Amino acid sequence: MKEWVGTVARLLTGGVWIWAGLAKLPHPEDSVLAVRAYQLLPGDSASTVGHLLPVVEVVVGLCLVLGLLTRFAAAVSVLLFAAFIIGIASGWARGIEIDCGCFGGGGADPHAASKYPWELARDVGLLLLSTYLVWQGRTRIALDNLLFPPLTESGLDLEALDDQHSGV
Amino acid sequence: MSTKLSNKEKQRRRAERAAAALKERQRRERRRRLLSVVGVVVAIVLVVAGGFLISSMRDDTKVDAAKIPPPGGSYGLTIGPDSAPHKVVVYEDFLCPICGEFEKTGHEQLEQLADQGKVQVEYRPIVILDRFGTYSARATLMWWLVKQHDGDAVAQKFHDLLYANQPSEEGPFPSRDDLYALAGQAGADAAALKASVEASEGAQEVAEGTKDAEALGVSSTPTLVLDGEAFTNGRTPADLANNLVKAVQ
Repeated sequence: MKEWVGTVARLLTGGVWIWAGLAKLPHPEDSVLAVRAYQLLPGDSASTVGHLLPVVEVVVGLCLVLGLLTRFAAAVSVLLFAAFIIGIASGWARGIEIDCGCFGGGGADPHAASKYPWELARDVGLLLLSTYLVWQGRTRIALDNLLFPPLTESGLDLEALDDQHSGV
Repeated sequence: MSTKLSNKEKQRRRAERAAAALKERQRRERRRRLLSVVGVVVAIVLVVAGGFLISSMRDDTKVDAAKIPPPGGSYGLTIGPDSAPHKVVVYEDFLCPICGEFEKTGHEQLEQLADQGKVQVEYRPIVILDRFGTYSARATLMWWLVKQHDGDAVAQKFHDLLYANQPSEEGPFPSRDDLYALAGQAGADAAALKASVEASEGAQEVAEGTKDAEALGVSSTPTLVLDGEAFTNGRTPADLANNLVKAVQ
């Protein structure tokens, strides 16, 4: 049961990442502006983050959807959502009105304040799903199950072997 | 026979062999898993690095600062002497709130430093926020006409007044008459300005000013160039202004 819950969590979180990343990939310049609009990163590092983020999002999303290195991808996902929550909350607290740039776009948005609560709620929800996946790393229908089959099935579990031998 | 092993001994050896084979299989499996993880991680790193490079290369907003003409051009407003050791070009939009913040923090100090001969600054107002209506184009046009007819000093005053009275991107926007009055306050001939605007004077020059900037890769404002290099050092617009002032002091 837990493994199926994990599969659903993987598909949801991973799907959102892929969607968010793909929306940003075609417009690197907008991505940089969206990061810059938060006014949090020093110097020109906003430009590096703006270029890196969409790619990382797509890759993390793919890993989650495919169930490849699930725990690791989920841990990265947790860190990213934590960073976004901090970014949006601090923007809100500083009275900056910006489009979160979550799915492309970004920059100044005079109606942003009314969207912040929903954006934060969404990110907290996805953060919780990701955290669940860090804890419940093994899920159904995952590449991990092919690459790293459970030990008992590969006949490497000591007790299982002992049972076989004692039957001879 | 003494060479014949006891059943017990046979059993012990068999168990030993089985344990050794098991250990070997476990060792191989552990190795296979480790290599799989390393392989997948290497693949991920390569994909991310490749994507990052492609994204950086496709970003055509990187201003080719070396190509941007130094202060002293005919379109913008240049303050400070040619002999100043530092040259600054400021592309800005009269409606852009970040430009407003930047001006609020930096313009007095920059103008002072220009007066002292430490820096030469050219302000190049351009129209990029036309999606919010006609204010940006209208203000830029009037500013350019004031510069043509009333001189640089008045244009500088009008530039500062436009930022001091900057409307929100959402409006409400000042009317034409409000802007004529503001130009008058800066020392311009408001009636002559009105006549020029109504005669559609200058529209082409202002459109070209924006086009020239876009051709050089300027797609957002403020875009700052300090001594031939893009200046982006600042977390906030105020930081940007303070750092720029520091850099030319």
